Amino acid sequence: MTSLLRIELRKLLPYSTFWVLLLLQCCLLFIFFYARGNVMVNGQMAGAELYQFPKLWMHLAYISSFLNLIPGILIIILVSDEYAFRTLRQQVIDGFSRANLVQSKYSIILLLALLLAAYVLFLGLGFGLYHGQNTDTSSIFTDSQYIFYYLVQLVGYMSLAMLVAFLVRKTGLAIMVFMAYTLVVERLIQWQTPDALDKYFPMKTLGALTPNPHAEIEQLMLGVTDTLSPVQALAPAVLYVTLFCFLSYQLLRSRDL
Amino acid sequence: MADILDIQGLSKRYGAVLALDQLSIKVPQGSIYGLLGPNGSGKTTTLGIVLDVINASAGTYRWFGQPISKATKRRIGALLETPNFYPYLTGEENLRITADVKRVDHSRIPAVLQTVGLAARKANKFKGYSLGMKQRLAIGAALLGDPEVLVLDEPTNGLDPEGIAEVRGLIMDIAAQGKTIILASHLLDEVEKVCTHMAVLRNGKLKAEGPVSSIMATNDLVFISGGAPLEALLQIARALPFVTEARQVNQQIQLTLQPNSDSSDLNRAFFAQGIALGQLVVRKKSLESQFLEIIKADAV
Repeated sequence: MTSLLRIELRKLLPYSTFWVLLLLQCCLLFIFFYARGNVMVNGQMAGAELYQFPKLWMHLAYISSFLNLIPGILIIILVSDEYAFRTLRQQVIDGFSRANLVQSKYSIILLLALLLAAYVLFLGLGFGLYHGQNTDTSSIFTDSQYIFYYLVQLVGYMSLAMLVAFLVRKTGLAIMVFMAYTLVVERLIQWQTPDALDKYFPMKTLGALTPNPHAEIEQLMLGVTDTLSPVQALAPAVLYVTLFCFLSYQLLRSRDL
Repeated sequence: MADILDIQGLSKRYGAVLALDQLSIKVPQGSIYGLLGPNGSGKTTTLGIVLDVINASAGTYRWFGQPISKATKRRIGALLETPNFYPYLTGEENLRITADVKRVDHSRIPAVLQTVGLAARKANKFKGYSLGMKQRLAIGAALLGDPEVLVLDEPTNGLDPEGIAEVRGLIMDIAAQGKTIILASHLLDEVEKVCTHMAVLRNGKLKAEGPVSSIMATNDLVFISGGAPLEALLQIARALPFVTEARQVNQQIQLTLQPNSDSSDLNRAFFAQGIALGQLVVRKKSLESQFLEIIKADAV
């Protein structure tokens, strides 16, 4: 796996598209956090109230989850590029197995998820310490498991993006299919499905990993919906990641490169 | 000599089209094996299957007597259809990726770049390369890892005459090191100049296979004239048992002999009839006319 990651990094590090999207994601995360903290609520900066340890972790994980589309699109570009350049084919000729192709993309997914989760953790520390009132050092990392849930969510989103890219092969079309599914199609299906079942749907399961800190207000307005708790969602989310990788592998095996 | 590649009954169907129909060929060790056929005859499909990127509909193949695996792939260097590289990386960076995939030490890269004449351009991005340079980089990538077998699909495609001569020279040099080369081409001239063995494909079917010399020797043409009027020569020739075909072409009689007889048999036969031939010329049929004949045999 590490040798596969090394090969992937050789492709990735000189690739400007990768850096542009990564920078965009990091800037947007910062802007989201900053803007949300500077909203005035009742004559008081919201950040003063929101960004207190330990509840800020749940909050940040929830806000960050709104930006999962960009890492997904990045993975789609990286996979569909390999089709456009016909380099998947060349790597199989040169000695890779179909499983290696999926493993190498999965290694990049893990790396990106780790990087982004670490970045959010770092931003959280920064915002928390800046806004913190009488910060008790012992409570800083309490509830920071939400960053871990965010990491699993990222892996889930990007694994789905990888599957879509392996399936569709064309960059633009794959991005559209990915966005249509994550933003529209699944919600339409959820609408027609009983809660007991639809809480296990991929997007809803992944979404449940980073719950809305103000869920009570949301439910007040939109009606009560049954969702998994982050701990409950963990196992199905990992199962989905495994399934997306396995399906990607089956696709590669059954089709000509 | 052992067979490097043994293909048995390989077929490939794309929807309603049978791109490859029951192909069986053996590539002997140390040969330069030409896969010859017009565009769309199934050459690339065949190579794609044995290189593990296209799934066969039926049939089997073995490399070095074994099914394909990571171990056998490392003994093969291949260029299929187009040079496949990352356009935003330099030639050298691309070869580093290839070397890592093949698990070859990077120390071989400068030598390979030198061999294919790209040492001076190694720091340029692949997308800026000319078609010929791209093709040469792909050959260089195939040479990384010092493979026992080189599979080249249309290696001179898109090259200028000088480039074509260079690549052919390169192929001959590599073959001289005792390596086996499998070469797909639609250029007869290329196969004729370079190959020791050949298979002719048309519409996915095998039309002829064997050493180039034996395929060419089966149909030598003999031209005779003089010693008697052409009509008389024609008549006598047609009566001879080892002449399979005789006809008048431009003040000469053109004869096709059976494979086990030669021009001295012919001369002796005419002398026995009291005719001393004024001229007797043996001409090997060019591969081109040979090829067209093989192709046409199916079209009827």
